[in-house]
Amino acid sequence: MNRFTFSFRSSLAAKVIVSTVLLSFGVIWLAGSALYSQLSSGVKQVNLETSLAEARSSFFNAQYKFLLVQDKSVNAIKKEVNAVVTTATEIGVNQGRKEIILARLKDDLANQQKYAPNVFDVVSEGLSIDIVPKTLREVLRSADDVQYEYVSFEATSGIVRESLIIGRKIVIPKSGSYEMYLIYSLTNQRTTLDLIANALLFTGIILILLIGVITWLVVRQVVRPVREAARIAEQFTKGDFSQRLEIESSDEIGKLSLAFNEMAVSLESQISRLENLSRVQQRFVSDVSHELRTPLTTLRMASEVIYSQRTSFDPTIARSAELLSAQLDRFEQLLEDLLEVSRFDAQVAVLDPVDFDLIPLIERCISDVGTTGHDHPIQIILDPEVEHVVINADIRRVERIMRNLLSNALDHAGDKPVKVSIVETTSEVGIGVRDYGSGMDNASLTRVFDRFWRADPSRSRIRGGTGLGLSIALEDARLHNGELDAWGRPGDGAHFVLTLPRVAGEQISGRPLKVEPSDA
Amino acid sequence: MTLVMVVDDDQDLAEMLSIVLNGAGIDVDLVSRGDEVMDILRNNPPDLVLLDVMLPGIDGIEVCRLIRQESMVPIVMLSAKGESQDVVRGLEAGADDYMVKPFRHPSELIARIRTRLRRTNSDVTALLRIGDLSIDVTGHEVLRGETKIALTRLEFDLLVALAKEPGRVFTREALLGEVWGYRHSTDTRLVNVHVQRLRSKIEHDAEKPEIVMTVRGVGYKAGVTVGS
Repeated sequence: MNRFTFSFRSSLAAKVIVSTVLLSFGVIWLAGSALYSQLSSGVKQVNLETSLAEARSSFFNAQYKFLLVQDKSVNAIKKEVNAVVTTATEIGVNQGRKEIILARLKDDLANQQKYAPNVFDVVSEGLSIDIVPKTLREVLRSADDVQYEYVSFEATSGIVRESLIIGRKIVIPKSGSYEMYLIYSLTNQRTTLDLIANALLFTGIILILLIGVITWLVVRQVVRPVREAARIAEQFTKGDFSQRLEIESSDEIGKLSLAFNEMAVSLESQISRLENLSRVQQRFVSDVSHELRTPLTTLRMASEVIYSQRTSFDPTIARSAELLSAQLDRFEQLLEDLLEVSRFDAQVAVLDPVDFDLIPLIERCISDVGTTGHDHPIQIILDPEVEHVVINADIRRVERIMRNLLSNALDHAGDKPVKVSIVETTSEVGIGVRDYGSGMDNASLTRVFDRFWRADPSRSRIRGGTGLGLSIALEDARLHNGELDAWGRPGDGAHFVLTLPRVAGEQISGRPLKVEPSDA
Repeated sequence: MTLVMVVDDDQDLAEMLSIVLNGAGIDVDLVSRGDEVMDILRNNPPDLVLLDVMLPGIDGIEVCRLIRQESMVPIVMLSAKGESQDVVRGLEAGADDYMVKPFRHPSELIARIRTRLRRTNSDVTALLRIGDLSIDVTGHEVLRGETKIALTRLEFDLLVALAKEPGRVFTREALLGEVWGYRHSTDTRLVNVHVQRLRSKIEHDAEKPEIVMTVRGVGYKAGVTVGS
């Protein structure tokens, strides 16, 4: 049943065939019923007329015979009655079985008393006068003509018989008025009608089957190209644009195929154009990278040679050497960040996930960030709820996120400590970096991940960050299908929470660590 | 005196490199084209090749492949691209190590070069056995029966590092420290690629290694010694 519903819903052909068959069934049913009722009433009419004509002649014959013997003896009359009954029940040319009922009228009181013993009632075997409807009997008594009615009765043998009863009032000499009924069996008529009904039913079924098959053939012609188009569209989804529909005709289906193929060509060219653009971009990034890095390497080495000799220089030259070296660091970092950003923009950033323990990585980041370039040491408290947190992620990117978050926190922490907390669930890991510095207002929060955006232009260049750190951190987090959230309040500090899936690329279903800090 | 061949098409960088290397007491042979490398290598074999990836003539990765066909000299690739695929391609072509330009400190470069030139494993026994191989540490030879197997110095060091402590499971990070001299690097691709290269030379079937075994989720260890 389910399979049927499924194929009915999913197949256009099944839908069309089923509805066509149902509709034609309705039409054929109506037409068949009308035809049957016409035919059956015709057959009944013919049958009735034949029976009536024959009955009339039987009644006339009986009346005539009785008239001839009216002066004869009772025995002679009785003999005549028997002869009449025999003649009347003889099987006619086109009639089935015929039976007779002859019953003296009860209301003919005068004759009843006069000829009390001369009763010539005749009832064919298995019948009784009770099968004749009262209405027919009453009409007959007062009428001088032939009366008839269709009846269906249960014979003494238990079989229900459908019959036509034709009756007339008849006078038998020396006995009185009689009702004479001829009972025509309708078996033959029924057989004929059944034959017609069966023929109609059979024709109807064959017609419906044929209509089903024809519909199937026609629908297939339409559906086959549609199915083919669906299959090819699926291939497109998988990235294979080489397939085309065959154009077999110039009808609507042909036009559809043509339009479909044109769409495919257009899609293919659009995609290859985009791919090409992306390749150009990727190539550009790689070229810029190479072209800038080579002179930078030379610069770095030269500056390093000079820097290592600075103690032997005049103080201003020595300071210049220091500045040169420091700014080269910054320049290098900026170049690095710009290239990374452009890789994200070109969507060529590749995730390279491995399994590793987060805790030692964070400890290392803390010791690196905490010691470099800071005049006053700021305490970083690592507060994990667990000792080992093994995740599957791109270690280089996670390290970069942590360094960015930590140095950002240190930049704004003032002289207060920075707190790092880690919460893990079975599917995610949340890492929070909390500072208690100047904090941020809501306007800043909305822009904190923007490129080159600085919370306070007048004071945040102390460490010489590139202004790209948080934006790259966000991209790095999202590359893992993770998320980076920020919370801040002026005077209360800020809280950045990195949420990563346990396995890079899987969906995160929540935030194990809330971005609103518990101590705010 | 140690001789390092510096292959780089950037004259200024090459000159700067030679200033720094000379300052560290290393002789430098400057080559600016990829297609000149092989001739010079044959005439004046260096102790180490410092090879840029992008070169006129033949590119650095191809040069690396050519060098490996006839020499086991240590090769350190200089790559301006940090992209994984370049690094991995270079390592697969036979480079022992790589450095991404710009280097944080020139001293880092010198340290790398010294690590690659260092006569390692002077502290271990002269003869080691691993699987069906015998390793002559002092003679720098690996033998399977009577057949000598040619390994680069790095591959040799990697094999010795594993073989001298049979049964110990080395994490990739530990191997990076032991063999490459990295204090804390996270780039374990170096280890993976070189283990693959080593296996292709010493294993009967590199798909089913019996000498350098993988310990899933941890790292590598030496296989069981066969015979005695």
